[in-house]
Amino acid sequence: MLFSKANRHKVVSSSTAATVAKVSGFVVDPVSRSVVAVRLKKAEKGEFLRWADLVAFGADAVTVTDDSVIGDGGPDVSALAGKAHRVLGKRVLTSGGDELGKVDDVDFDPETGTITSLVLGKGATAEVAGDRLIGIGSYAVVVRETP
Amino acid sequence: MRLMRTSEITKRPVVTMAGEDVAQVKDVVYAADGGSVVAFTLAGRGVFAGPLKQGLSWGSVAALGADAVMIRDETVLEPVKAMLSASGGKGSSGDVLGSQVLSDAGIDLGVVRDVIVSVDMPGRSGAGSSCDVVGYEIEASEALGTQGELVLIPLPDTIAASGEHLMVPASAKEFVGRDLAGFGAAIEAFRAQLEGTA
Repeated sequence: MLFSKANRHKVVSSSTAATVAKVSGFVVDPVSRSVVAVRLKKAEKGEFLRWADLVAFGADAVTVTDDSVIGDGGPDVSALAGKAHRVLGKRVLTSGGDELGKVDDVDFDPETGTITSLVLGKGATAEVAGDRLIGIGSYAVVVRETP
Repeated sequence: MRLMRTSEITKRPVVTMAGEDVAQVKDVVYAADGGSVVAFTLAGRGVFAGPLKQGLSWGSVAALGADAVMIRDETVLEPVKAMLSASGGKGSSGDVLGSQVLSDAGIDLGVVRDVIVSVDMPGRSGAGSSCDVVGYEIEASEALGTQGELVLIPLPDTIAASGEHLMVPASAKEFVGRDLAGFGAAIEAFRAQLEGTA
């Protein structure tokens, strides 16, 4: 599923069937190459939903058991949630020091949260496999150079 | 192998594998014999950032690409003073730029405007990599028939330099190039010819 498709998904509590928040972004860990938390808006209890705490990331909505799982995400999520670690819009450098373009979208596996690919350039001119991801910093997203 | 103008390397960001730009290249430091790049001096990022006390030795460069100098992390930077004394580097490219290139036949070929290096990165880790000076971009003299134009001239493995003049074999004239794309082949042909006649 693409970030652009998953954004603004409703987060629905399965115990009350009420919408408790909306998805507004994603927190990505470059080491595990996966989404570790979902950023929320319109939530009462906090800004983050840890990936481990959600029940399902469905095609139309994210489900949680109840809104008690929404919070500040904990220290590991906060460390990766800053603007410096954001992926969208950032330039992509290979480990060889060559720029490939800018991240326009990110494809992830809704079952596991694993990043499957980075979509570069306006209009998806290129794709970089998710397993090439090395680092996400304030200057660039670094990906492994292809041999 | 990849050819680059050293003027294009300066100002290039130094980026860690975590994606942080920790510095930018201020100047290129050459080996005492002028034949290779041994280090870079650095400046901070941003308009008002000055020179840094930390430098980057060639051995710590993970990769030198078209858009960035890649390093493992910030810890590979080292104090400039210690780095220069260890590498035997002789300082900036200012030493060569502006020098007159003389052929060994005593003909003025032109004035150095840029230094061309060949970057070779065989391993992922940067081990066994090299950054050799393989040519100069010179403002051609009358002798080359294209006076005032910038042309590329290949260099032999070792070259005599005095700070005033740079001495190249007269045959270098026959291997003058115009753009970096075909220049690699010209360097190889030139060096092969030198070895053949030696």
